[in-house]
Amino acid sequence: MSLVIENVTKTFPGQRQGLFGRGDSFTALDDVSLRVAKGASFGLVGESGSGKTTLTRCILRLESLTSGRILFDGADVHALASAEMRRLRSRLQIVFQDPYASLDPRMTIHDIVAEPLVIHRDVVKMTERQRTERVAELLLQVGLGTQHLFRYPHEFSGGQRQRIGIARALAVRPEFLILDEPTSALDVSVQAEVLNLLHRLQVELGLTYFFISHDLGVIRYICDDVAVIYRGKLVEQGPVAEIFDRPQNDYTRMLLNAMPDPDPDRSPFRRPAEAGVGA
Amino acid sequence: MALLDIRNLNLAMRSYEGETQILHGIDLVIERGEIWGMVGETGSGKSLTGLSISRLIPTPPGRYLAGSIEFQGTDVLKAAERDMRRLRGRHIGTIFQDPTTNLNPVFRIGTQIVDVALHAGHADPTVLGLSAGASRREFKRAAREKAIEMLDKVGIPKAAERIDDYPHQFSGGMRQRVLIAMAMIGKPDLLIADEPTTALDVSVQAQILRLIHDLVAERNIGVLLITHNLGVVAQICTHVAVMHRGRILESGKVGDVLKRPAHVYTQALLNSVPTVHTKRGELRGLSGLTPESFA
Repeated sequence: MSLVIENVTKTFPGQRQGLFGRGDSFTALDDVSLRVAKGASFGLVGESGSGKTTLTRCILRLESLTSGRILFDGADVHALASAEMRRLRSRLQIVFQDPYASLDPRMTIHDIVAEPLVIHRDVVKMTERQRTERVAELLLQVGLGTQHLFRYPHEFSGGQRQRIGIARALAVRPEFLILDEPTSALDVSVQAEVLNLLHRLQVELGLTYFFISHDLGVIRYICDDVAVIYRGKLVEQGPVAEIFDRPQNDYTRMLLNAMPDPDPDRSPFRRPAEAGVGA
Repeated sequence: MALLDIRNLNLAMRSYEGETQILHGIDLVIERGEIWGMVGETGSGKSLTGLSISRLIPTPPGRYLAGSIEFQGTDVLKAAERDMRRLRGRHIGTIFQDPTTNLNPVFRIGTQIVDVALHAGHADPTVLGLSAGASRREFKRAAREKAIEMLDKVGIPKAAERIDDYPHQFSGGMRQRVLIAMAMIGKPDLLIADEPTTALDVSVQAQILRLIHDLVAERNIGVLLITHNLGVVAQICTHVAVMHRGRILESGKVGDVLKRPAHVYTQALLNSVPTVHTKRGELRGLSGLTPESFA
């Protein structure tokens, strides 16, 4: 499934002032255009407040557009009738940032992962029994087991919860996955496992990824193409290798420089000589 | 005498399921001018080590099984609560992880910093540039001036105007600066920073790290920086201790530990960090590590 975003602008109205007045409106997205090819991983990098989340909400039609178009396989998302939109949503899933907040603590893992199958029952058409089988299959796919089926979220670690979130997103066999900072709440070691899982799933299932992150290392690792968003504008986009090796924009360069590298010699605070042995 | 000398620290915590030992023989010595990084995964005991230094772990449920923490010659674990209160905020400054939960939303920024300044000032009036016999009014005025000076120092623009703002009017990075200002106000000898940049953007993180780095250069203080970000450690720390399940597996100069890790766990952690230079499929994580790896 390919995604095309054409000249999307999103303005939020300003605060009410008095009976009829309005404060200055805020432009969260300013003429954003990008293209995600089928089967590719597209990375969106930006700091907090840059408009990353607004853009995802627009893609999912959780937010209306001020102007511009968002096309999935040529179909304008914001012009679809609600029944068509519901069908589209079954092909379009999202994994959220915080695995501690995005799983209902009062539902079992089985119910959490099966929920999209129930919601999209007119598309997937499964009996209860088939759903349970599908959930078990999904848990295996993300590296969990059938023994976890009837446990509750609090019994799992952060990494395991994120795997559950991924299993839930994959339940309806989507083609397009939006990953909103899926590893930022995790330890580096767990992050490595989740990133490898995402990579393996993409190869196996031919998924298209729209990956949002503020971690350039993660983006470089998992994505083919990247766009850098700053204050609602895309300042630079292109293949990952090109942007990382030859950034054209000052902001991109600043981001790359600010990223802490685990090699002490690359620290801006010390010269290589000081970090050496016996310094 | 070292600034901070932790020897064979063993801590246990009580819960409904019985007592569990959390820290197993932590040894750590911090001298002035050193920035020690403490890295490890969630639950490895980094924060509890940091909290132990200013004795902020309530006992019970905590219980120190063995060991000592000497700060400038005082055994922190045996000191009277009165003496501890003099140490905290005056000689040992602490920056906590989350600037949103560590500032009270219903009080002005100024009120909260002045509080800290007054506390430090009562312990040692010279911090505020006063003599011991100064009146309350003089204390208050000096504390407010000090608060503005500190806010200015940590890079809050128009500090004199913004001091009367509420925390919600500050951005995340600015709030973290306020916490740093508070921690630095008593001119501490040791700064404990528990994940000071985890909640922040990389560009803001770079500014905060620069701030800590400059403070060390200027005042020759010791810093314990608790983090799970190896990149941050590589950037500003002089030394690093790698923690796993309540033990320090490896410690030493940053250059030695990160460049030539002696322990497989350190190597595995380093392999888990995707950098600008990692190619897809190269990340290895902790798979392949067995309990024997830690023997």
